[in-house]
Amino acid sequence: MNNLHAKTLDIINLNVTLPNGHRLLRDVSLSLDPGEVRALVGESGAGKSMIGKAVLGILPTGISISQGEILLEGTHLNALTPATRRKTIAQTSALIPQDPLTALNPVRKIGPQITDPLTRIHGWTKARALARTRELLDRVHIRNPDRVLNSYPHELSGGMRQRILIAAAFAPSPRLIVADEPTTALDVTVQKEILRLIRELQRETGTGVLFVTHDMGVVAKISQKVTVLFGGRVVEDAPTHRIFENPEHAYTRALIAATPTPNASTEPFRPVPPALIAELHREIQADDDRFSKRAHR
Amino acid sequence: MLLKTVFVRLLTTAITLFGVAVVVFTLVRVAPGNPISMMLPPGATEEDIAALTALYGFDKSLPHQFMIWIGGVIQGDFGTSITLRQPVDELVLGRLPATLELSLMALLIALALGGLVAVIGARKRSTGTEVGLDLTSGAVLSIPDFLWGLIFVLLFGVLWPVLSISGRVDPRLDIDFTTNFYFFEGLLRGRWDVVSSTFSHMLMPAMSLALPLAAMIAQLLKQNLKEVLNQDYTTLARVRGFSETSVILREALQNAALPTLALVGVQFTFLIGGTVIVERLFAYEGLGNMAIDAVINRDLPLIQGIVLLFAALFTVINLLVDLSYTFLNPRLRNG
Repeated sequence: MNNLHAKTLDIINLNVTLPNGHRLLRDVSLSLDPGEVRALVGESGAGKSMIGKAVLGILPTGISISQGEILLEGTHLNALTPATRRKTIAQTSALIPQDPLTALNPVRKIGPQITDPLTRIHGWTKARALARTRELLDRVHIRNPDRVLNSYPHELSGGMRQRILIAAAFAPSPRLIVADEPTTALDVTVQKEILRLIRELQRETGTGVLFVTHDMGVVAKISQKVTVLFGGRVVEDAPTHRIFENPEHAYTRALIAATPTPNASTEPFRPVPPALIAELHREIQADDDRFSKRAHR
Repeated sequence: MLLKTVFVRLLTTAITLFGVAVVVFTLVRVAPGNPISMMLPPGATEEDIAALTALYGFDKSLPHQFMIWIGGVIQGDFGTSITLRQPVDELVLGRLPATLELSLMALLIALALGGLVAVIGARKRSTGTEVGLDLTSGAVLSIPDFLWGLIFVLLFGVLWPVLSISGRVDPRLDIDFTTNFYFFEGLLRGRWDVVSSTFSHMLMPAMSLALPLAAMIAQLLKQNLKEVLNQDYTTLARVRGFSETSVILREALQNAALPTLALVGVQFTFLIGGTVIVERLFAYEGLGNMAIDAVINRDLPLIQGIVLLFAALFTVINLLVDLSYTFLNPRLRNG
């Protein structure tokens, strides 16, 4: 089952459904090679975050995987018991969350929040966990690690907290990192720095990254492959250079065109045309009809 | 900063206690019922009544009486009990340990039981178990403490008589303790006979007081836990491989305890109020029981002393709650 040449992540025909049967992801397939960065783009509600949540086993209550397979390093996650699945995910993957202000426990010091998983889940010694944590804090340019390790989250700035969360994600040397819009909640000056850190660490460690974002500018900077989503469906899946040079789908072209540019004052803002969105919704409806026929047969 | 906080705190406490003193002093004198008539046998002469009234100072004006009493209180003299003919402070402080032990036991039971039910409810959220626990705690909450007392007497005093239903300790025991904290001093001295006897006497009244509070804690803490369990940091803990139970205990509980604590502080003062009836029910020799006797006998100085002590107790509890709040919430620590 587990072979050395397996892809880091392989998602096959994934369907994620609300209790009332409404699909949030519709036959999504994508894969991630070791060391590859794949951007998941789309507007709000396109399902890009939902893919990350499904992979990490943190779908909100009531939302479940109704069909499809997720293979993590060649292991079928669906085939595992919940406890083994939790362990498998924790051993191979990590999450860089969207909002650094809510992702750290307000009543616990930073130090144990990073080292606890290393000692209690990965079975490291305290000394090793602490050494690794210091090394990574240094790597994300935190100058006085000992003071930070002894701080509570409210004593640190947002950018500082996001750097800590990046360090925490890379600390156990995961094979896969899901970065869920990690720069959205930060102000623009900090965004660049955070993006650069993720890219550098990713290159050094050879970790595969699923990078969820709605910012086509970010996509161009960080990823090798792109999956464009609309309404929980994959609209286009291609190498990043091709997405920008020669996008196949009209929606991808519209998304790129809608990205604000530095000379926004001279160039008018071009939103995605409503007619195109209506067309996409019609396709989804047809898709759903086929899906329900398939389910009822 | 801290000094200023302490000063403000002490000042408000003093004002509160003075207000309580004025109100209780006035109320017990305005309310119908005369302590003098309780003391004299039927057929007493007018002269006897006048002499006794003058002896206790009831012939003076209300403000004058108050000045005499409050002047004594400031010097630590709370007057003499009319019925028991002993200094009020001795009587009241002698009974206080019994009530403190009972209330603390009740609080501990309520926290342990309520906390356990809340954690189980949060762990099994959105299942039949949670619904069952909700219904049970709702039912427990709707039965008042004295009714629980009667239920326990029936169960463990009559049908299956394993616990003592009356008093504080087996009177045959020889207790030569320095304090009246029989349970705690027994623990320290290793007098297990005293400990087990007080425990057996305390358990039913403590449970009666604890159950409604436990149900309240269970409901509120579970609700707070469920909210915290939707926070990003608990999600992150799950991704990192921690089981749901350890996410609840290590990441969520302390955060959820903060808003629960405010309620526990308020409810604990109600619990101490509840000791008045429950102590009576179990003939437990505490402050509450003494308060009822004092009211029945119109023992004005004793009523005043007991009420003042209760008021002081409440302010101390509020202070402790605020302190524990600071202890649990690092954001309040350096301010």
